[in-house]
Amino acid sequence: MIAVERLTKRYGTMVALDRVTFEVPRGEVFGFVGPNGAGKTTTMRILAALLEPTDGRAFVDGVDVDAHPDLVHQRLGYMPDFFGVYDQLTASEYLDFYAACYRLPRARRQTTVGELLELVGLSDRRNQPVDTLSRGLKQRLCLARALVHDPAVLLLDEPASGLDPRARVEMREILRELQRMGKTIVISSHILPELTELCSMIGIIDQGRMRATGPVKEVVARLSSARRVRIHVLGKRDEALQALRAMPEVQHADEVDGELSVAYDGDERAAASVLQRLVTAGVSVSSFTISDGGLEGAFLHATSEDPA
Amino acid sequence: MSLRAWLWNPIVAKEYRSRMRTMRSPVALTAYILAIGGLGWAVFSTMAADASLGGGAGNYGRNLFVVLILFQMILLTFITPALTSTAISGERERQTIDLLFCTRVPPFAIMWGKLLASMSFVILLLVVSIPIFSLVFLFGGIEADQLATAFLVTAVSALALGSVGICCSTLVRRTTMATMTAYGASFLLVFATLAWGLIFPTRVDPATLSQTPAPPAIVYAGPLLGLSWIAGQGAPVSWLDAVSGGQFGVRYGGGSDQPIPMAKAALAAPRGLPAPAISTLFARSGIAQPAGPKIPSGAFAGWQYWQATVALEAALALLALALSAAVLPPVRRYPWRRRGAPAGVAVDDAHA
Repeated sequence: MIAVERLTKRYGTMVALDRVTFEVPRGEVFGFVGPNGAGKTTTMRILAALLEPTDGRAFVDGVDVDAHPDLVHQRLGYMPDFFGVYDQLTASEYLDFYAACYRLPRARRQTTVGELLELVGLSDRRNQPVDTLSRGLKQRLCLARALVHDPAVLLLDEPASGLDPRARVEMREILRELQRMGKTIVISSHILPELTELCSMIGIIDQGRMRATGPVKEVVARLSSARRVRIHVLGKRDEALQALRAMPEVQHADEVDGELSVAYDGDERAAASVLQRLVTAGVSVSSFTISDGGLEGAFLHATSEDPA
Repeated sequence: MSLRAWLWNPIVAKEYRSRMRTMRSPVALTAYILAIGGLGWAVFSTMAADASLGGGAGNYGRNLFVVLILFQMILLTFITPALTSTAISGERERQTIDLLFCTRVPPFAIMWGKLLASMSFVILLLVVSIPIFSLVFLFGGIEADQLATAFLVTAVSALALGSVGICCSTLVRRTTMATMTAYGASFLLVFATLAWGLIFPTRVDPATLSQTPAPPAIVYAGPLLGLSWIAGQGAPVSWLDAVSGGQFGVRYGGGSDQPIPMAKAALAAPRGLPAPAISTLFARSGIAQPAGPKIPSGAFAGWQYWQATVALEAALALLALALSAAVLPPVRRYPWRRRGAPAGVAVDDAHA
């Protein structure tokens, strides 16, 4: 559905994007993660045909973005990270205006506007001037605006930034609904836990280069070099530590807050082997929890690499 | 895209709605009527007192007409840039322009919609001023066709000012700077062109003169000269000659500021651009072309002053719009800058 091939953007000598490549199949929710200035917005603007790449190609629903921006605009809904609204317009007039800009027939516009206001939970505010809406409500309205022409692809640049926790949860629920509707969604965000819950795929970008891309579980597994396990034992902690440190797959083992924190190499079988040998050594294990560091760990690992 | 879609796009409707919901529009409209009406009434009262003494009522009518039409043009010089100079830069500052670029309204139509909405307001101002101009007919001296011509020149001039404003709004990213630039450009067009005729007049030597000299062609680009001459030769345009200390825009060499004898001037056949299409239109339609003095020589020889003004301002408007259209799109696809994209929709099954 979305394909980006060796996308490069240079501003003079500054390289904003350096041969970025990734693909998002139809119906997937792609989390685009990276620190500020990493190149997320640049990539999104190129995909939305608002910026010309220096080199490389980008396709939305099979359409070359550079060659046919008009066709891309028909297929794509874009929500920028920063946007304004017009004063003197109500929420429904605002959506009706954009629906007209997408050439929706007048007869269909009213129904579409009503449905979208319902989807984003703004039905009761349809006659409220848009400039008086709170930031969270404006974000929702802007999301509805991106949907007026029923695009197959949604590009959402930091859709939850600046929102309070409640508004964030509400935004997440709307995105889940869109996911159920089968939209292909690209979300850039720095709020990692949200992406873990929402996204099926992820791309980690840093300093203009794609560090990792693929299904979330794969990326997390690939980037978690050493796994950790937290073990709670009943008594005999010193003996347990000695036994653990003697095991070849254990990198190091320490006592942290009354628990044993162990870093080890290998997969789940290695963890099972560690547990079995502890029990054989006579240690009473009351809990044994594997922690892989999650998306946050993968992100930190990917973005700490030397860009050169 | 159909002509209807070009002329009427959602931007126009939205602009109308936004513009007419603020207090600014009715206040501006009222202030405009009061300003022109106030001046008209003041001049009318003064002249009515004089005219009652008898004689030259036509001259009073022409004077009133010129005062009002020039004042209206000067008012529009201040109003039009304010209407258009924020059109694009304001969208940029408000961070709404990208959302518009993402729709199916092409960038040129965005610009055109903004211009159309602004120009509609100017037309509204012109329409509401018509009753005030009808005061002129109480004195006579001005025909309805002259009034119509003057309004045409005013409207085309406002269009040129509006287009220049849109152009500044497109080229200059910040609204404040865009507005200042638009005002600068408008003042250059309206006032500096006239000043050019005073500072750099056509220099002629009466001894070697073969035809009646005319001011430099650049002065016709400004609307004030064309509007002044619509009323005809005589008192209404004498202010220009008075300011220039002789024939406006012409400086005679050899210390003589005397115009050449008319007999000698009459011998000279005017040479210049072909008669404007508008004259042909009048001729074909059978409607009498508004009478008025013609430019005696130079590039626009044989044209009426207002025709040269309309032609130059329309050309300027087109140039400003073309420049804006070239600069406005977020990704400029000039033929010489294409990156070798394949023809047709590049549908790749692997990507679809």
